[in-house]
Amino acid sequence: MDLTARFEKEALPQWRSLFRTACRLTRNVDDAEDLVQETMLRAYRAFNRYEPGTNIRAWLYTILHRVHQDGLRKKRRTPGLDELPEEGIPVPPPQAFVAAGGEDLSRALDKLAEPFRSAVVMRDLEELSYQDIARILEVPIGTVMSRIHRGRAQLRESLVGGAS
Amino acid sequence: MTCNPELITGYVDDGLEPAQRTEVEAHLVTCAICLEQVAAERALHARLMALPSPEPRRGFENELRRTLHRARPSPLRVLLPIAAVLALAVLWGLRMPRVLAWELARDHRSCFSHDSLPAEVWSDHGEVVGAWLEAHGVPAPPFPDSASGLSLVGARRCPILDRTVVHLYYTGGDRTVSLFVVPGAVQLSDAHFRGTARRQAVRIFRVAGATVGVVGEHAEDVAEFERSYRSTQARLTPQAGGLTAVAALW
Repeated sequence: MDLTARFEKEALPQWRSLFRTACRLTRNVDDAEDLVQETMLRAYRAFNRYEPGTNIRAWLYTILHRVHQDGLRKKRRTPGLDELPEEGIPVPPPQAFVAAGGEDLSRALDKLAEPFRSAVVMRDLEELSYQDIARILEVPIGTVMSRIHRGRAQLRESLVGGAS
Repeated sequence: MTCNPELITGYVDDGLEPAQRTEVEAHLVTCAICLEQVAAERALHARLMALPSPEPRRGFENELRRTLHRARPSPLRVLLPIAAVLALAVLWGLRMPRVLAWELARDHRSCFSHDSLPAEVWSDHGEVVGAWLEAHGVPAPPFPDSASGLSLVGARRCPILDRTVVHLYYTGGDRTVSLFVVPGAVQLSDAHFRGTARRQAVRIFRVAGATVGVVGEHAEDVAEFERSYRSTQARLTPQAGGLTAVAALW
């Protein structure tokens, strides 16, 4: 099987999972699509360096995280861009979910500061292990645990505050 | 064990070492507060897992496939770099140190313009870096831990012209230095060059059978680095033949 066929079989099917995370990281469907496109493109070009049989999800998430961080850095270098209203389609909440109060949780997650949001999303939405998250974020496992703990604590606080 | 909320999070996520896990389990038997945290985090995890996944635009998957299809290397895209490499290989053969100087200056600037250096091994000890290079099939002649006020920080293997070159990084204050080592002999027998490439001072010279080049912003830095490199070679390699080393200072 050539490299392209292998990529289509092993990596490409992960795009939905990457998209789900990308939506949470960018908080915007358009930006999430761009992030997934760029991630897949870089992954495809670097696929000859991927070691078959190792964790493809962790490998793809590492690229996703780097692309996202590059994007944030570029944004920071462009003065005034942060103040602009976010363009594109906001992530729409399905009605059943709104009724169940999930929208509050979704909003609270979107409001989490970046280092905590990435860690919580990778753990609680994608169920990646601490070891994988540490490798992806390039931080020690203790830092992953601390970020997830603080992220969840803030979420719980937001939900309690929102309910009262 | 006293209450440690972060460890409780690790316990919920099955992210603890066995010994830590046993400790937390023993603590949970007697601590209602931590037990409550376990329940709360599990409930929150379940709710987060149940968050609906947003949908991309219709046709996004097809668009993604088309993008990847366009990125496939066409025969032309494969052949052109090969032709370029062959042409450059001829230039090596024609003894054109200017081409080498230009390539090294370009690579040096490219590496140091990254947010972080693309090093594969990080160490300020020449022996550590040298052992790593040898283990990865690209042995380099002895090189200094520091020179001209600049200290070694790491290295990587990088393709330059038609071969894999060892690229060693040095920094000191706002100055940076690259030392490139080309495994195997190259046909630069008259490789003495002093001039500029990409607005940087360049020297290419031979030391004890090896070809060495220095590229830098200031001609005096380049001269100083050449002296340091020569003295290191004289001290550490009485017979440094068969390898080409090129140093760049910026």
